[in-house]
Amino acid sequence: MSDYDVIVVGAGFGGPVAAKKCAEAGLSTLILERAAVPGEKVISSLTIPFYGFLFGPSWIRDGDPPIERPVSGIRNFFVKEGKTFAKDCSFRVPRPFGPRVSIGYTTYCRPFCTWLADRAVEAGAELRTSVTAVDVIKENGKVQGVVTDRGEELRSRMLLDSEGLQNLLGIKAGIRKRYLPEVVELCLLLDFEMPKEEIDRVCGYNLEYFWGMPEEEIIAPLGYGSAVYIFPYRESIHMTIGCFLKAEDEVAPAVRTLDAYYERFFQTDRWQSEYAPHTKLRARIWDTCPIYAGLHPEMREMPTFTDNMLLLGDAAGMEAAAIADGVPTAWFSAEIAADTTIEALKAGDTSADFLSRYDQRLRAHPLITALITDPHRRDLKYAAINVSEKEMRKRVHNGWGFGMMKHLTWPVTKAVVGSMWRKPSIPFRWMNMFNRYYKLYR
Amino acid sequence: MDESLRQFEDIPGVVWVPPPEEFITVDRDACTGCGDCVRVCLASVFRLREGKAEVARLERCMECAACFFVCEPGAVDFQWPKFGTGYRSEWG
Ligand SMILES: Cc1cc2nc3c(=O)[nH]c(=O)nc-3n(C[C@H](O)[C@H](O)[C@H](O)COP(=O)(O)OP(=O)(O)OC[C@H]3O[C@@H](n4cnc5c(N)ncnc54)[C@H](O)[C@@H]3O)c2cc1C
Ligand code: SF4
Ligand code: SF4
Repeated sequence: MSDYDVIVVGAGFGGPVAAKKCAEAGLSTLILERAAVPGEKVISSLTIPFYGFLFGPSWIRDGDPPIERPVSGIRNFFVKEGKTFAKDCSFRVPRPFGPRVSIGYTTYCRPFCTWLADRAVEAGAELRTSVTAVDVIKENGKVQGVVTDRGEELRSRMLLDSEGLQNLLGIKAGIRKRYLPEVVELCLLLDFEMPKEEIDRVCGYNLEYFWGMPEEEIIAPLGYGSAVYIFPYRESIHMTIGCFLKAEDEVAPAVRTLDAYYERFFQTDRWQSEYAPHTKLRARIWDTCPIYAGLHPEMREMPTFTDNMLLLGDAAGMEAAAIADGVPTAWFSAEIAADTTIEALKAGDTSADFLSRYDQRLRAHPLITALITDPHRRDLKYAAINVSEKEMRKRVHNGWGFGMMKHLTWPVTKAVVGSMWRKPSIPFRWMNMFNRYYKLYR
Repeated sequence: MDESLRQFEDIPGVVWVPPPEEFITVDRDACTGCGDCVRVCLASVFRLREGKAEVARLERCMECAACFFVCEPGAVDFQWPKFGTGYRSEWG
């Protein structure tokens, strides 16, 4: 006897999206979240790219999520001998379209995940916070639910695992392995308060990326070509560096003190003149992300389903190598997981055999495979170790500049055409969204 | 602020609710003493003693699991802190 039709583990970015759809289909749905408040144990830079909103859940697109600022461009800077220069290989939605038409939106995880979880609860899902799923219940080799940290056994007909990259339940269920350190980045994030008018003046609606030539120019040698990324929020900025945990058989040389990470960058001219006088450090936090799981044959081939259980988002290796974003793919996989769950329960067949269609659908999605297997950003990271200036610029152009168009235009076009095929009026919704989000920001 | 919450000066923007028990442990028999966990942890949670890693300052842990991913022999046992304890941050 099951307590629920569906148990969803994790109220981060993916979980609530799957839960809402299941609850709307009339399934009794429980979400378990280990944090006291959804999103307060999720750390992300965080710009959610436009395609997540356009091709993700319609209720996010047509709703009023707590976004911070539209982003309509990326400015790449190179740093040599403490001086920033060269803003070529930059990318911007031309005026008058930008910044109203954006390439993404910045946001904080806690309000955003709370907003998502609230929508799932409104749809009828039950949310339990401060509860950790510590193990799966297995009978005759099949997953039947979860055991909580309170020792409670909760049974469900389907288990949707959206616990993020640590994936402890996937490992306990016997279908996943620990992500290898070479596909995982450790990202140190700083949050600064900064007055809105200064952000408008310095960054406007652009993300700013800084490439050291070599990387030691701006950061302590973390190894493997790390850059500094600055994301403008409403009245604050996020600054991130990510470095591989391991590359070329060597564990990344760690910087023992937190300060050392950004010590060099704080000496650069642009930081000193434009940012330093107006910023105040508010938070220093970090997390890992499995950016290159899709590029690693062994990691990529790990199962995303077993009897009575589907994995989604980071837990299923959905982080996009293309531009290091994981939210859109978490949303796409969450919707597909919910659709598959609803069909399986209706058919009364939740066997691995039936659920294998989930994996086929993930692979057939116009964007997911393209995003998780795009190698340009990884090439760029390796390039930054020791290459000529010319090569470095070329790779920045391909990885983060206009060159991105080359490899992302086709999958995005496919997604656009597919959406219009299903619903010809969809471009009006999209324009409506850009306008409404812009107003929300204003 | 709630008396039971912890903060650290070098990690602003985060508070910790003390967990009821240790959630990261090292299997001394499996540990080769390579020091990767010590190097990778930004909170300086680990230290090496007599050629083995040990968990020394778990109260600063950000639950990033870098130690778990990086330990080749799998000597780091990583679980979540229970009952909604551990770190909390508004700024992620
Ligand atoms: C520093 C950094 C920067 C990033 N920048 C971007 C970016 O700019 N744009 C972008 O799109 N993506 C970015 N990402 C990636 C993005 O944050 C993730 O891909 C996304 O959060 C994945 O969603 P998810 O639902 O799979 O997992 P998460 O959002 O991590 O959610 C997992 C949830 O499950 C809960 N949980 C875990 N285990 C259990 C359990 N056993 N029981 C109960 N609850 C549990 C967690 O507390 C959490 O709330 C970044 C990631 C990092 C680390
Ligand atoms: S990484 Fe693993 S093997 Fe190496 S010192 Fe740490 S616990 Fe021991
Ligand atoms: S989880 Fe992260 S912060 Fe915690 S001990 Fe491991 S490496 Fe350090």
